[in-house]
Amino acid sequence: MTTGQAGKGLGDMLIVDADVHVNDLPQALAPYAAMPWRLSLETLGRSPQRYLDIPGFAPNLKLDPPIPGGHELRSVHSAHQMRAELSALSIDIGILFPDNLLQIALLPNIQYAAELARAYNRWLAEQWLQSGEAGLYGAILASPQDPEDAAREITRYAQEPRVAGVYLPCAGVHPLWGHHKYDPIFAAAQEANLPVLLHSVTVISPQFPYQLDQFENHFGRQMLSHSFSMMANFVSLMHTGVPARFPKLKFCFTEAGIGWVPYMLWRADRYHAEYRRLVPFLERRPSEYARECMWFATQPIEESDKPQDVAAIINLIGDERIVFASDWPHHDFDHPKAIANLPVSPEARCRIMADNALRLFDRIPRPPGKLA
Amino acid sequence: MAEHIIGTLDEFPEGSHRVVRVRNIEIGIFNIHGTLYALPNVCTHQFGPLCEGTVNGTTACNAETGWRIAWVRNGEIVTCPWHGVEFDILSGRCLAQPRIRLRQYPVTVADGQVRLNL
Repeated sequence: MTTGQAGKGLGDMLIVDADVHVNDLPQALAPYAAMPWRLSLETLGRSPQRYLDIPGFAPNLKLDPPIPGGHELRSVHSAHQMRAELSALSIDIGILFPDNLLQIALLPNIQYAAELARAYNRWLAEQWLQSGEAGLYGAILASPQDPEDAAREITRYAQEPRVAGVYLPCAGVHPLWGHHKYDPIFAAAQEANLPVLLHSVTVISPQFPYQLDQFENHFGRQMLSHSFSMMANFVSLMHTGVPARFPKLKFCFTEAGIGWVPYMLWRADRYHAEYRRLVPFLERRPSEYARECMWFATQPIEESDKPQDVAAIINLIGDERIVFASDWPHHDFDHPKAIANLPVSPEARCRIMADNALRLFDRIPRPPGKLA
Repeated sequence: MAEHIIGTLDEFPEGSHRVVRVRNIEIGIFNIHGTLYALPNVCTHQFGPLCEGTVNGTTACNAETGWRIAWVRNGEIVTCPWHGVEFDILSGRCLAQPRIRLRQYPVTVADGQVRLNL
């Protein structure tokens, strides 16, 4: 792990990070899983593992030939390590997501997937959230394979003080998150006052966005996987009126940057004007719902040669909708300085780096000062 | 504001709508449940001939309908023929964007004559 001279230059700015990742190996989850799936996890734990590619746990299809060199693959294995690394990055509060179980939606075995989610949630609570390390908050994993069980999990952890949200796996999810089968998850999250957090990962799967295999390399796949997933799930949620039907529910879209947001908001508004009678539950323009209940995480921030272009995107969306995310420790993480140095007002900077997130994750108390 | 006679009442029977031209301004005249309404024949979206569109009801879906799609406002909604943008003829409001409201011209009937003020 190399965080470099990370925090320097950020002063005493409070920084809340909407997306960091813990390394959730099958052998770590095994003691938390019921039989017979504990045996499956123990077996997987003894099998050779590749980064974010464990058949039967985080199945992937790695197509690129290995080329020596490149940048390091990083993982965080303990709450203590996470706290130390976030502090080195000057990040005070982080919302924990998994590594391998970013791909849980790909698993076809419903009982196994639901048990994996339960095991992950218990492991997350015991090993990370109750570790005593400051500033670590978690997202309960909602298995899309078994929405009723996911709703029970949300209710089970609703009072856990370090649970800040509900993670909705997006890679390989089918149907997309607007489908009515997921209503129990949204109802439970709304009841628990926990925001739902959409997060994808680059995978090749028969689900949307499928046919990523036609790209000859990961450059092509990576460009579209997260962004198409967020756009498709945004549309899916809107087209069945989830924000209208669950008016107190909050949403956060992660790891697709923010450039897609103005495009989707404008496009949604335009077609809402034309097809309103098909979506009469949207009694206002989609962008109006979005600006009330949706937040958009910055990472991977668009990197224009002119930083004012990125500030312009923030202004098009509304800076109160934007939350900082680093994606630490993943390969395309954003350093807080990449966001904090954008040419926005000091007030907007504080909103993006912390205040908006503390409104989104409103059960997280504002620390009296920096934790990092 | 001047008063213009645009025809006799029997030329605007209940349930009908048509576009008249007054001083080079096109205006849609609608007879909804026996009351006349006059709206500009220009859609706020891309200036399409709004009042030449169909008059119908529309859909609603909210807590009042039990989140089932219901048919409402039968005969009170005009839809622009260009892009389908809907307007409430009674209020002039755009359904998709209620903040947008069409101008409503005063229309009266006297001695069997329909008079428009603009």
